[in-house]
Amino acid sequence: MSEIKLTIDGKQITAPRGKTILEVAKENGIEIPTMCHDDRISQTTSCFVCIVREGKNGNWMPSCSAEAQDGMEVDASSDLVRDMRKTALDLLLSEHSGDCEAPCTISCPAHARVEEYVRAGRDGDLRKTLEIAKERIPLPLSIGRVCPRFCEKDCRRNVLDNEGVAINDFKRISADLYYDEYMEERKELTGQKVAIIGSGPGGLATAYFLRLEGVASDIYEKLPEAGGMLRYGIPEYRLPKKVLDKELAHFEKMGGIKIYCNNELGKDIQLDKLKKEYDAVVVAVGSWKASGMRTEGEELARGGIDWLEELALNGWKGEDPGETIVVGGGNTAMDCVRSALRLTDEPVHCMYRRTEKEMPAEQIEIDEAREEGARFNFLTQPIKLRRENGKLVLECLRMELGEPDASGRRRPVPIEGSEFEVAADTVIAAIGQKTLAPKGLPTNKWGDVDVEEADCRAEGNVFAAGDCVSGPATVVEAVAGGRRTALGILAYLKGEECQLPRQINVSRGHWQSMSEDDLVYLFEPDKNKRVPLRLIPLEERTSTFKEVSYTFTEEEILEEGKRCIECSCTAKGDCKLKDFSETYGAHPETFGGEKGNNTYNSRHPHIIMDNGKCVKCGICVKVCSEVVNEYLLGFKNRGFKTKVETAFDTTLPEFCTDCGECIEACPVGALDWKKKKDE
Amino acid sequence: MIKRIKVGMASCGIAAGAGEVLELLQEMAGDNKVVEVGCIGHCYAEPLVEVETDSGDYIFEKVQPKEEDLQKIIDLDEFSRFQPHSPRVDKERQLITSLAGKIVPTSLEEYRANKGYEGLKKALEMEPDAIVDEVKTSKLRGRGGGGFPTGLKWSFLAAKDSEQKVLICNADEGDPGAFMDRTLMESLPHQVLEGMLIGAKATGARQLFIYCRAEYPLAVKNLNIAIEQIEKEGLNIIDGEPVKIMVKEGAGAFVCGEETALIHSLEGKRGTPRYRPPYPTDYGFHGYPSAINNVESFANIPLIVRDGGENFAATGTENSTGTKLFALAGDLEYSGLVEVPMGISIGEVVYDIGGAEPGSVKAVQIGGPSGGCIPAEHFDTPIDYDSLTSLGAIMGSGGLIVIGNNRCMVETARYFLEFTTRESCGKCTFCRIGTKRMLETLERITGGEGGPEDVELLADLGKKIIQGSLCGLGQTAPNPVLSTLKYFNNEYLAHVEEGHCAAMECKALVDVFIDRETCIECGQCIKNCPVDCISEDYVIDNEICTRCNSCIEVCPVDAIARVAKGGEVSVGN
Ligand SMILES: Cc1cc2nc3c(=O)[nH]c(=O)nc-3n(C[C@H](O)[C@H](O)[C@H](O)COP(=O)(O)O)c2cc1C
Ligand code: SF4
Ligand code: SF4
Ligand code: SF4
Ligand code: FES
Repeated sequence: MSEIKLTIDGKQITAPRGKTILEVAKENGIEIPTMCHDDRISQTTSCFVCIVREGKNGNWMPSCSAEAQDGMEVDASSDLVRDMRKTALDLLLSEHSGDCEAPCTISCPAHARVEEYVRAGRDGDLRKTLEIAKERIPLPLSIGRVCPRFCEKDCRRNVLDNEGVAINDFKRISADLYYDEYMEERKELTGQKVAIIGSGPGGLATAYFLRLEGVASDIYEKLPEAGGMLRYGIPEYRLPKKVLDKELAHFEKMGGIKIYCNNELGKDIQLDKLKKEYDAVVVAVGSWKASGMRTEGEELARGGIDWLEELALNGWKGEDPGETIVVGGGNTAMDCVRSALRLTDEPVHCMYRRTEKEMPAEQIEIDEAREEGARFNFLTQPIKLRRENGKLVLECLRMELGEPDASGRRRPVPIEGSEFEVAADTVIAAIGQKTLAPKGLPTNKWGDVDVEEADCRAEGNVFAAGDCVSGPATVVEAVAGGRRTALGILAYLKGEECQLPRQINVSRGHWQSMSEDDLVYLFEPDKNKRVPLRLIPLEERTSTFKEVSYTFTEEEILEEGKRCIECSCTAKGDCKLKDFSETYGAHPETFGGEKGNNTYNSRHPHIIMDNGKCVKCGICVKVCSEVVNEYLLGFKNRGFKTKVETAFDTTLPEFCTDCGECIEACPVGALDWKKKKDE
Repeated sequence: MIKRIKVGMASCGIAAGAGEVLELLQEMAGDNKVVEVGCIGHCYAEPLVEVETDSGDYIFEKVQPKEEDLQKIIDLDEFSRFQPHSPRVDKERQLITSLAGKIVPTSLEEYRANKGYEGLKKALEMEPDAIVDEVKTSKLRGRGGGGFPTGLKWSFLAAKDSEQKVLICNADEGDPGAFMDRTLMESLPHQVLEGMLIGAKATGARQLFIYCRAEYPLAVKNLNIAIEQIEKEGLNIIDGEPVKIMVKEGAGAFVCGEETALIHSLEGKRGTPRYRPPYPTDYGFHGYPSAINNVESFANIPLIVRDGGENFAATGTENSTGTKLFALAGDLEYSGLVEVPMGISIGEVVYDIGGAEPGSVKAVQIGGPSGGCIPAEHFDTPIDYDSLTSLGAIMGSGGLIVIGNNRCMVETARYFLEFTTRESCGKCTFCRIGTKRMLETLERITGGEGGPEDVELLADLGKKIIQGSLCGLGQTAPNPVLSTLKYFNNEYLAHVEEGHCAAMECKALVDVFIDRETCIECGQCIKNCPVDCISEDYVIDNEICTRCNSCIEVCPVDAIARVAKGGEVSVGN
C-alpha cells in the first residue's frame, strides 16, 4: 500500500507514503510555520516552531521531520499547539539580542521610519526623506521646527559622543526643499465625508490620513485662521506663520479637504447636526484653557496660552509688557518668556518651584531663553498676587526639594519663614492647560474626551483626536493620535472592528545602559561631532520675532547623516522570528534571563554575521555544505553558548558575495547583507 | 601457602591510593606474585588487597602504603580484614560481575579458565536467528537507559540486507557519578568483547566499534590489550572472517551517548542528535544499518548464550529480567557498585545494601540527571523498568543517589538541571533555552528571590521541554525538577513563600550563627574564616559571610550552626 490516509486539523487527506507531515500539510493548503526547514537541505530539526500533536496518543512531533503515517490525526492549529509554538518563540526571543527597529523609530510618537529617512538624506535623496517622513508626519514643515525631538534623545549615537543625530533637521530641510512639489498618492474619493472640529495638528492629521484612503473632510475652525496651536500657541520666532501657511495650503491641494474658519462649535455649528450630516465627526478642539495659579489674586495674572493667542491674533506685535514674571517651567512658559523678551527691554523672569533639572521644558528652549536674557528664579512658589501703586506685587516662598512624588520628580516643600515679595508690570501664569470638552461627550477624570482605546471613538459616530484626548502634549503626539483616529474611522466606515496589527520589537536596550562594546556596527561609524544648529544674531533674537534658527544646508545634512550608526535590523522586513512572534503572540519579555552569545563579525565588506540574532537553526551551515559544497560555516560550543562561526573564526571569503545562499536562507537577520534593502 | 596477592586497581582503587600499595607490595612480596585486578564493587573499602592461599582467600580493606601494614598482610595477620556487611551479601546477586576483581582483567587465560568465551564458542555453532531468539527468550532489556529489548533490536539488524552492518558498544557513560560501564570494561574487558562478538554473529555485523568515554584511559587500555589477545588467538573469526573491533574515544560530551549523536561523532561530525526515525538499524554509521548497545547489555550476552535465555529470565521479574548494576552514592554508609536482581525494592538497596540509617533518608535519585527522585514513602517499590517509570523516575543507566534528610530538594533539582543545561548540545530551542530558563528560575528560588509564579513556570516549561525536545537529553532534563515538584512541593513553597530552606542548604536563606553560651572562645573560627567576617567578640557579620562552613567544621564544641535567615535565634538553655 503506497497511499496513506490521515487527518490534519480534521481534514481528511490521502497522501503518498514517505512524506513528512509538513509536506502533506503544505500540499493540502494547511500552513505550518517553520524556521529551520529548507527544502534543499537535510532536516536540522532545531526550532520546533513547526511542532504538531498527534490527537490520539498526544505525542508531539516536529512536522518538518516526522513522517506522515496512516491513521494519524494531526492537530496543527489548536490552542494547545499554538501555545507550544508561542513558547518556542518566547524562548527564542528571550535568547535574542538585536533591534528590530532603530530606537529613534520606536521613540518617535508617530513611529516615522526615522532611520530610513535619515539614510535617504545621507544618500543625498532629500525628496525621499520627505516622502518617508510624510508616511507618518503630515506636518513636516512645522514639526521639523517645533518637535522636542523624542527620537534624538533615544538615539544610540549618544553612546559615542553624548549627542544624538540631528534627526529633525533632516525633516526640516527635506520639507523646505520639496514640500511644494511633493504630492502623495491618494485613493479616489469614495464619497464619504467626515466633519472635523478644530484645525490644529490633531484635526489636520486625521483629515490627512482619511484623505489618503479616499475619505473627504470638512474642517471647522473657530478662530479666523487655521492651524490651532501651531498658529496661536507657538510663537512666530519658532514657527513663522508664512511657513505654516505653506503647510496648510498643501491640505487644500490634496483635494477633498476643506477648512472653514470662524465656525465655533455650539455657536455656528452644532454637534448633533454634524453627526447627522456627515458619516462621522471628529472632535479635535485641543486643550486651551489656561490653568490659574490657585493663589489669591490669580485673576491679575495673564494665562500663558491666552497671552500668546492674543499676540498671534495681533500678528506677533504687542505692547511692551514691562518687567515680566512668567510662572511655570514648561514649554509654554518658555514661549512666554522668550516672546516677552522680544517685546520689552525690561527684565523678564521665569519663576519655577523646582530646579532647572526638573523643568519639563526642552533644555534647548531653556538655554536659548537664557542666551536671550531670561532670568530664572528656581525653587520659588508664588502665594499671593496684588496690585500696588500700578505695579503687580507677587508674594513668594522659597522651596526646597523633598521626597520624589508620583511623577518621580522630587517634591518641592516650602521653607518656613522664607516669604519675600517681587514686583513686576506683567505676571503670566503658564502653569498648564486643560481641555474644555464639548458638552455631551464622555470625559475622563482630567476632563479630556474619553475615547475607546481601540478606535478613538467617543460615542456613536463621534471620534476625537489630539490634545483634547491626551491632554496638552506635543504636535507630533497629536499627529500620531490623528492617525489612530483616522484608522478608527476607516474601520468604522467599513463596518469592521479596528485592529492594529500586533507588533513586537526586540531591543538591545536604551543607550544609557549601554557601552560602546554593546553597539553592533555595520560599518565603522564616522567620528565627527554633531553639526550645530546655526542661529540668527542675538540682537535680532531679542528685538524681532524672526525665525531663530536656520535650516541646515545640504552639505551639513550630508555630514550629519554620516553620524547615524543604522541601528535597525537588516532583516526587519523579512524576519521569520518577528513574523511568527507577532502571529503567535510571543513577546521578548515573556522570559527574562541571560541573552545568548552576542558576538558579531562585520569584517566582510558586504556581509554581517550577528550571533546575537542567530536562532541556531543550522540552515546556513547545511546550505553551505550540502548545497554550495563549501564548508565555511559550522557550529561551535554547546548548550546556551552555541554559536555559528566561520571556519577558523575568520571573515567569510570575498567570493561569498557571488553566492549569498546562506544569507538568503537565514530566517532572521543573523547572516545578512550589510546594505539595507529599501522596502 | 600464598598463591598470589591481588590489588584492586580499577579507577576506584587507584583513586584511593592503590597504586602506591601495589608498588610497595611488589617490592616486599619476594617470590609471591602480585597482580592487578579490577573492582569487586565495595568501593567504600578501597584500597583492597586480596591474598589467595591454599587454604582460602583473605581480603584486607583500606590498606595504607605502609611497610608495617603490608607486612602484616603478607603474614596474614588478623588486621584490617574486610568483611562485607551481611545484608549486602544476602541481597546482592553477582551474575555478570562475579569475576570482577577476582581475575586479572587483561588475562585471557584467567577469563577462559572461568568459562570465558564458552558463550561465543556456542554461538559460533548456532544459526544467527537462534542466537537472536535466545536473547529474546532472555527478555534482556537495554541497560543504557531506554530499556529497549536487545533481542528485538538485534532482529531488526539481522533482517537487514546490506553490504555492511555495524555493531556499536556505547561506552560513553556520561551520567555524573555512574561507573558501572567503566568497572565492567576495566575489570572484565573480555566479557564485553565476548558479548559483542556474539552480537556480530547474531546480526551479521562485521564492523564493531566501542565508543568509549575519553576520561576512561584504563578502560581503553584494557580493552585494547584484550582485543589484541583475541585477535592473536583468532577468537574474532566469525564464519571464517576476522572481525575488526575498534575502540574510539569519545568527544567528551554527555549527549554523545545518545545514539544518533554517537554515530555523528564516530563519523567525525559534530556530536549532535538528529530526529528519529530513521533509527540506526535503518540508517546508522555512514548510512549502514547499525545497532547500538550499552556495555552492560553486552556483558550480559555471554551468560545468556552460555546458560540459556530461560535460565537468565529466571532472575528478576516478568518484564525486567536479570540483574542490574547500580553505582550507589550519596548519603549512605557503603557507596560503590552493586549488582542486584531486578525487582529488589528500593529500600533494600538503600538500607540493606547501602547501609543508610532508616529514617535518615528522604529520597533517592535514580537515573542520574535524566531520572527522577523517589521519596522514602515509595521505597517498597520494586526496581524494574515499569515501576520506576510509573513513579516519574527512570531505570536509567544505573546511577542511584541517596538523598539524606539534610538535603534541600530544590537545590538537588538545581544541581541536576545545571548538569543537563550545560550538556545540552544547543541544537533545539526547548532544550537549549528552556533548560537555561528553568535553571535561572531555580537559582532565583534557591537565591531567595523566587515567587509562586516561578514554581508555576517550572511546571509549565518543564512539561513543554519534555514534549518539544529532539532527543532524550531534553526529553528527560526536567525530570529532577518535575519529580521534586511532585513529591516535595512543600519545600518549593517554603522557599518562595516564607524564604525558608528547611535543610539550611540554600545560602541566601540562611545565616551562620555562633551560640555564645556554648562557645569557649578558642579562636579557631576566627582563624579559619576565609573572609574575616567573625569579630573578636565572636559575632559573625552575615553580610560578608559566604556560608562556606569553615567555622562550623573547625569549632570543637559545635557552637556554630546555620540558622534560618532573619528568624528568631534562641541563645543558650
Ligand atoms: C543524552 C543521552 C545520553 C546517553 N548516554 C548513554 C551512555 O552513556 N551509554 C549508553 O549506553 N547509553 C546512553 N544513552 C542511550 C543511548 O541513546 C541508547 O539508547 C543506548 O546506548 C542503547 O543501548 P541499550 O539498548 O543497550 O540500552 C544516552 C541517551 C541520551 C539521550
Ligand atoms: S532578526 Fe528579526 S527579531 Fe531579530 S532583531 Fe532582526 S527583525 Fe528583530
Ligand atoms: S546564522 Fe545560520 S544558524 Fe543562525 S539563524 Fe541564520 S541560518 Fe540559522
Ligand atoms: S534535546 Fe537538547 S541535547 Fe537533544 S538535540 Fe535538542 S538541544 Fe540537543
Ligand atoms: S523543527 Fe521543524 S521547522 Fe524547525
